[in-house]
Amino acid sequence: MTALLKQIFNFLKLLNSDTGTNQLAWGLSLGLILGFAPFISIQTLLVFALIFVFRVQLGAAFLSAFFFKFVAFLFDQPAHFLGKAVLENESLRPLFVSMYNMPFVPMTRFNNSIVMGSMIVSVLLLPFAFFGFKFAILKYRATVVARFKGTKFWKAFTATKLYNWYCTYDNLYG
Amino acid sequence: MTTPETTPVKKKKEKGPIRWEAIIPFVIICALIGLYFHFFFDTHLRRGMEWAGYKAIGAEVNIANVKTSFFDASLRIQGIEVTDAEKPTHNSIKIGDIRFSMLWDALLRAKAVVNEAAVEQIEFGNKRIRPGKVAPPEPVSNEPGMAEKIKEQALQEAKDQAGENVLGDVIAMLTGTDANVQLQKLQDSLPSKAMLEKFEKDLKAKQSEWDARLKTLPQGKDIEALNARLGKIKTKDFKTPQELQTSLQELDKVFKDGDAMYKQVQSTGDDLKKDLKTLETQYKEIEKQVKTDIKSLEQHFRIPKLDAKSLSMAIFNRYLGPYKAKFFRYKAMAEKYIPPNLMKKKSPSETEVAIQPHPREKGISYEFGRPNSYPLFWIKRTAVSSQAGLTPDAGNIKGEILNITSNQALIGKPTVATLAGDFPSKEIFGFLVRLSLDNTKADSVIDYKFKVDSYAIEGKDLVKTPDVEIAFNKAKGALGVEGQLVALKNVTVAMDNKFTQIDYKVSSKNDIADQILKAVFNGIPVVTLTVDGQGVFPNVPLSINSNLGPELQKGFEKQIQAKIDEARKKIEAYVNEEIGKQKARVEAEINKLKGQFDSEVKKAEAQLNEQKKQAEARINQAKKDAENQGRKQLEKEGQKAVDELKKKFGW
Repeated sequence: MTALLKQIFNFLKLLNSDTGTNQLAWGLSLGLILGFAPFISIQTLLVFALIFVFRVQLGAAFLSAFFFKFVAFLFDQPAHFLGKAVLENESLRPLFVSMYNMPFVPMTRFNNSIVMGSMIVSVLLLPFAFFGFKFAILKYRATVVARFKGTKFWKAFTATKLYNWYCTYDNLYG
Repeated sequence: MTTPETTPVKKKKEKGPIRWEAIIPFVIICALIGLYFHFFFDTHLRRGMEWAGYKAIGAEVNIANVKTSFFDASLRIQGIEVTDAEKPTHNSIKIGDIRFSMLWDALLRAKAVVNEAAVEQIEFGNKRIRPGKVAPPEPVSNEPGMAEKIKEQALQEAKDQAGENVLGDVIAMLTGTDANVQLQKLQDSLPSKAMLEKFEKDLKAKQSEWDARLKTLPQGKDIEALNARLGKIKTKDFKTPQELQTSLQELDKVFKDGDAMYKQVQSTGDDLKKDLKTLETQYKEIEKQVKTDIKSLEQHFRIPKLDAKSLSMAIFNRYLGPYKAKFFRYKAMAEKYIPPNLMKKKSPSETEVAIQPHPREKGISYEFGRPNSYPLFWIKRTAVSSQAGLTPDAGNIKGEILNITSNQALIGKPTVATLAGDFPSKEIFGFLVRLSLDNTKADSVIDYKFKVDSYAIEGKDLVKTPDVEIAFNKAKGALGVEGQLVALKNVTVAMDNKFTQIDYKVSSKNDIADQILKAVFNGIPVVTLTVDGQGVFPNVPLSINSNLGPELQKGFEKQIQAKIDEARKKIEAYVNEEIGKQKARVEAEINKLKGQFDSEVKKAEAQLNEQKKQAEARINQAKKDAENQGRKQLEKEGQKAVDELKKKFGW
């Protein structure tokens, strides 16, 4: 729990800094995949591996996964219809038969209508989500963060000892 | 002068895209998971299995050891003991060893396939080290249907007990209790008598109502007055059109008055008919009740039915009790676990749960199988074996279960289980179990066969009542059960039980019954019992037959059939005497009412009909006469006009 909270604080810190835009955008986008995928499936494991191996912001990924899980829950019915239409498509049947009998692939549970529908939607949204999040973060920093840093309150706060102590602590252990 | 040394600002090293620093935590986590699975997983799995077993069966399940292997994908369960819920000091089954390993080839495809599983050392009914825990019965639900269910159950139990009492009734009849004394006490408790009394009262009220109504009907003098009015009206030789019109108006008035009287009589007649019909229906109901009363009196005085079927039921009801209880126990278990659509259970939306979280949609999972591919779950062969003598209660068992699978259609093979063997320690020899579950067709078909060539029976009570006691001191039994279950609904069951080398224990408090029973049972060296049932699950009525039934019937018939007939006659006579007079009176009253209807209403109806006809004839005559007169007048006037014209022209 502490590790998770630390990651969320790191996410907020990074969001309000000038660096790590790509890390944040990838974290939020991969969180979207996590949110739409079933918890026990090979794609979830794969995305977790990507998040842990590559320098993707973990807090962003977890927050995004948490948020998109609710979206996916609301999206179940349309996802079911989409997945059903794809899985019942006669021309794709030979492909699905091969996939179903391949090693590892059935562990994605692609043969379930909701999983298939959610997977299609999340994979299609991934590039849009990445660029969308990147644009949103930059815009946020340029408008909200910059304006906040220009306020007298912030300037006064940065001049306090408490802030200096925090900065020192952050440099040492952050 | 020296310039102050400026320390260069330490620039943070740019981190690469790969999180190398996470390798150590990752390795630690993996090691922890590995250690957990190595040291604790098996214990936790064992505890989980015991808990799940207790929840599913409702009796304590113990497992001595569970061993799993990740690399072999194998599972071994040793020492499974399932407590007998009806006898917690004993196990219902004990299995020494179950082991199997799954194919990695299938596991990588998210399927579980076992080439061969082994089940060894099976024991039934062995004593436990300590009594097992049995789940308490579920609390009585307050749902509305529960009261009816309990009532139904109580009625069923009473019915079953009544079966056992047949022999008691026979003995009571042999004792010769005089029913006349008790019949006197029941004088006022006959429902048919009460019904008849009420009916008579109602009939009297109706009668007075009808008397009053009949008085309001047109009497003879009214009809005569109408006739006199009709006679006075002029119907010919009209001098003026006004005269004709006045006559016609008067005739019309008389006609209308007559018609009103006729309608009154007719509607009264219809009402009376209706009332008579209702009374007749009520009377028929009373006759039905009389028959019911005779039957219930026969039951009250325990007049037995001396037919072979009832006697068979009476003797084997207790014997079959435990089997029935087991059947209902497993039926309840099946109802709990079989999907709702197959058991016609209430769907989750229909269940009476006040607040229920919305279940997440599960979607549809498709199986894209192809010939020779793996189904989701498949145990190709389970070898079952057991050797007698290793433990006191173990038996010789050899058998196999083939193709336990989640998709029979894909592999094209049904699940077939065959077990054969014997338990020498329990004197059970030549048992065979054959079970086939075929799900390859639209409707699933389960065929089952269970056979035991010989088993020992010791001290088995068949009938134990204060009047009579029948038991097998010792006997050898042979059992065969065969049947089919189609679509998990339609059940057929046929049981064939044979008892030989019987040492009976027969006694009765009545000497004659004692003699008869002893004579009958001594003459039957082999007892057969057949149970047949067919129906839609869970309502499967069972028919029980035995060679004991006809023999007992023959034995008792000579002694008590005459007494039974006599008692029946007495009851019939009593009922007839009690309500016979009343019945005759009521019948007479109904006939009187009918007679009144025939005489008065029909007479008035006939008279009025006559009057109506007369009025109609007179009206027609008046009209005809008026027409003739009019024609003659026209002719006269025409002739006059012609004559005048002739005069004008001087012809």
